[in-house]
Amino acid sequence: MPNEAVPKSAKASASPQTSHITRYAVPYFPGCALKDQAVGFERSARAALLRLGWELKELPRWNCCGTVYSLSTDDLMRHVAPVRNFIRVQEMGEERFVALCAMCYNTLKRSARFVAADLGRLSRINAFMDEEPDYRGGVEVLHLLQFLRDEIGFEEIESRVEKPLYGLKVAPYYGCMLLRPREVGIDHPDAPETMELLFEHLGAEAVNSPHKVECCGAYQTVANPGVVRERVREIVGAVARRDADLIVTSCPLCTYNLERHQLSITGEEKTRHGIPILYFTQLLGFALGVPEGELGLGGAAIDPRPALSQLVGG
Amino acid sequence: MVERIDGDALRVIRDAGMGSANPPSCVTRHPLRISSGEPDFVRRVEELSGEAVFACYQCGKCSAGCTFTSGMDLLPAEVMRLLQLGDERVLKSVSPWVCASCLACEVRCPKGVDIAKVMEALRLLDLRKGETGLRWREIPPGVPQIALVGATRKLTP
Ligand code: SF4
Ligand code: SF4
Repeated sequence: MPNEAVPKSAKASASPQTSHITRYAVPYFPGCALKDQAVGFERSARAALLRLGWELKELPRWNCCGTVYSLSTDDLMRHVAPVRNFIRVQEMGEERFVALCAMCYNTLKRSARFVAADLGRLSRINAFMDEEPDYRGGVEVLHLLQFLRDEIGFEEIESRVEKPLYGLKVAPYYGCMLLRPREVGIDHPDAPETMELLFEHLGAEAVNSPHKVECCGAYQTVANPGVVRERVREIVGAVARRDADLIVTSCPLCTYNLERHQLSITGEEKTRHGIPILYFTQLLGFALGVPEGELGLGGAAIDPRPALSQLVGG
Repeated sequence: MVERIDGDALRVIRDAGMGSANPPSCVTRHPLRISSGEPDFVRRVEELSGEAVFACYQCGKCSAGCTFTSGMDLLPAEVMRLLQLGDERVLKSVSPWVCASCLACEVRCPKGVDIAKVMEALRLLDLRKGETGLRWREIPPGVPQIALVGATRKLTP
């Protein structure tokens, strides 16, 4: 249940959706990519959530989470950045927050568990950050998909759909960081279905996507782009053969790789032939009737608008 | 209609095959360990990763599921085997540098070995000597910050 009811904020009443009353608010961590390369992810999430009566309250003075979780036993320094963000949540008087980027979610969630597992670690980190108030532990990290499913509920979302996505074939792409390791995954590591359920509640058809839990290559796009290109060829090829109109992700790095390497395969800068990649919040916002200008669709290298406008045109 | 694999059915099959409802905890004592025989680097990899290399019983599941083997010279299970044998050739392998820390191996290992941590430990042996796995001049133009930060944290000291 929502743990905090807030009055309709000044921000909500100034927004174009004055008819959608903001009843609740939840703290949220954007991360670097959402302020730069993936602005459409953030814009569409904010707008869609407002339609559902929720305001995303950005953490004050948040910092980069570090992007990737350290897999070594002896490197406490790598947990300082996440803990600093937990302190921001604590200062807001809150006990939980949502992340949108799958990589941020994973890194923050694993660090939260890492420091919770051993108070010795936490007290060393607290001592190191002597300019900050101590982190007391207990902040819960949620991914927005989880929040939509478990707190708002897909039924509730369905009841608010203004433009049902009938006939649209959407391929989910989970990648790694929403699902692994098992302790932080938002769904089954090999057979997740959260995204499929969301698409179906929005009226779309979920396309079977055989490589949906496989890695796109992540940061290896920097060091081994050739290997990543092969991955993308396989991932996208499989859903293209199943006539997917769109691929939906929750990660700016997956999105970059799936777009960029599709383009390098077809050898075109802007293409009409590739499969567009959308964030789940963009698809959600579209179905909820958020105006196109607020979804940040224009920034995509492969334009999703033809696929979506076909839909509206009937 | 929707061409979608039924989640619950798959779950039952998968769980029966992998015991993933009860993931095994890592085994720490091993009769197969050759006492005092193994070189320091094996011990160091175990320390850095927190994983027990002798827990691996060479089923090959990690290699089967790894989607990056086309760029590797040793399969993930071979990395584990050479560590068990104390074979120094593992220290020259490119496999840890091609690994994308995707954790597909980690969720599937029936012995609860986190191979991604072993790969990271192998990288750290070099990184902590100041070596780097990134050729700065060859970085493709236009890669976003999220990729650069990730790569820098995994592949440079
Ligand atoms: S899956 Fe685990 S037990 Fe099997 S070969 Fe790989 S590390 Fe060894
Ligand atoms: S974590 Fe590394 S070794 Fe394991 S499956 Fe992924 S890329 Fe392969």
